[in-house]
Amino acid sequence: MSDMSEAKAGAPITRNGITIDDTFAEAFGMSASGLIITADTAKWARQSALTMTGFGTSVIGCGAECGIDYEVPPEDTPDGRPGVRVLIFGFAPQLVEDQMKNRVGQCVLTSPGSACFNGVESSEKISLSGGPRFFGDGWQISRKLGKKRYWRVPVMDGEFVIEDKAGVVTDAVGGGNMLVVGENRAGVLETCELAVEAISKVRDVITPFPGGIVRSGSKVGSKYGAPASTNDAFCPVLRGAVDSQLGEQDKCVLEIVIDGLTSHSVGDATKAGLAAVLEAGPSRGVRRISAGNYGGNLGQHHYHLKDYLP
Amino acid sequence: MSALKLKLRAEPSQRVDLSQLSPDKLAASSIAEIEKLVIAEGKKPITVGDCFAVSGDPSGALHFEGGSEKLDFVGADNVGEIIVEGDVGSYAGRQMKFGSLEIRGNAGSALASNLRGGQIVVRGNAGDRIGHPRSGEKDGIAGGTVIVMGDAGDFASERMRRGTLIVKGNIGKYAGARMMGGTIFAEKGLSEGAGTQMRRGTLIGPTLERQLATFVDCGTHDLLIVKIMERFWRDTIGDLAPPVITKAPRRLMGDMSGIGKGEILLTAG
Repeated sequence: MSDMSEAKAGAPITRNGITIDDTFAEAFGMSASGLIITADTAKWARQSALTMTGFGTSVIGCGAECGIDYEVPPEDTPDGRPGVRVLIFGFAPQLVEDQMKNRVGQCVLTSPGSACFNGVESSEKISLSGGPRFFGDGWQISRKLGKKRYWRVPVMDGEFVIEDKAGVVTDAVGGGNMLVVGENRAGVLETCELAVEAISKVRDVITPFPGGIVRSGSKVGSKYGAPASTNDAFCPVLRGAVDSQLGEQDKCVLEIVIDGLTSHSVGDATKAGLAAVLEAGPSRGVRRISAGNYGGNLGQHHYHLKDYLP
Repeated sequence: MSALKLKLRAEPSQRVDLSQLSPDKLAASSIAEIEKLVIAEGKKPITVGDCFAVSGDPSGALHFEGGSEKLDFVGADNVGEIIVEGDVGSYAGRQMKFGSLEIRGNAGSALASNLRGGQIVVRGNAGDRIGHPRSGEKDGIAGGTVIVMGDAGDFASERMRRGTLIVKGNIGKYAGARMMGGTIFAEKGLSEGAGTQMRRGTLIGPTLERQLATFVDCGTHDLLIVKIMERFWRDTIGDLAPPVITKAPRRLMGDMSGIGKGEILLTAG
């Protein structure tokens, strides 16, 4: 979610009947880790992953931004069962570790038949089993295979297996974004769904908001002292009352936020999302694509929309 | 691949200590220097040149052509690649850290003593006390993988801490005694005394000759960790990996005379 105070910078570009603002998405450096959650069936691996990544939309209010990266086929998981890779982003490795400890302990350990493995290879590690393994109350045992240690925690359906450490990267990116502007909510939402679907095919990225889509884009600060508040410049119902960024026909704006393990992956996701929106065209009422930024002074990563057009 | 070849001239007249002969230690030496290394002290010291015809490239792998049960400490502290075309004596592969040691014959006692890492393959049989810790050492095998294609003697992997021992033939008594971690896979079954006083670790085999009274039967269970171990072995040792376990193994926990966090998995159910 981002401030749009200086969204427009130059002449817009038009492609397939949709206007692309000459602006950029401003994103921030973050720490991130990843897990591979497996289960007896793909359904339960996904259920566990969904539960663990729930309430993981914004690092400000949720402590972490989490989401499913992709489904891992059995031949690529450590235990040969269906798996799901989830990514978790936070401001610092310790904060990511704290979030993983709670989320794995409450949502993966508890999920029938689940197991949990490191999903990011990195020289820097954080504890993955640090909390959950002590649920074993002394009956937990470990097994070291090569350089990896696994913990076996007795539970009522057998054993919960969890890897001891997870890799963490400190050059991840959070807050890549695009704003899809249109004439009606249903059409904009449908188009955003196509964009999120396209982004989901890009590895190492997540779109952490519900279904990958945000309707409550925000600006920095609030008259009440909160860290963020509604992005009034992009609220259609305030168009006449504020310094609006919207035209008369703009009735709905939805945002897609992208977090990635690398800046390159966020760029690839931006490209995939833009391509999907442009391919969908204006038939559903989408008129324009913009992006959120803070004038370029806060975030280290800038993704100029024109550089990512198909 | 280039290799330094040591062709055994004849059976040594006494036991020789080959712990100086590992690829990393010899890499910077000339053939002449290697030939002068003393491998048995005494009234009449024995040198490498007395025992072996030395040729090849010292910067590569080490290849022994011919073996003898009098060749002790072959591959000790090894971090490279060593192949022995024949038998070796005691303490082969002692405290190896990584790399590989392949013995295309039989190994004497205390194979892989206090092994730290790497892979040892014995194509023949191995003697008693595989992994044996020497006086003052806390651990037996503390990492790495040992594969014995033939039979193994008594007290295999006593005081094991980490790593894997796979025995494809018969294994002697008291395998995994006083074990503290790691895995022993006895493909033809475990003998009497297996796991005596073990604290942690896993012994796997189709059968157990006689269950100790201090082990408790926890029933048959599909254990995920078995699948993870199988995948790890398949990825690291390929065709040498033990057979896939198709049936839920019976889990015995023990030794309950101690902390009882070890387990014996009986794959025949």
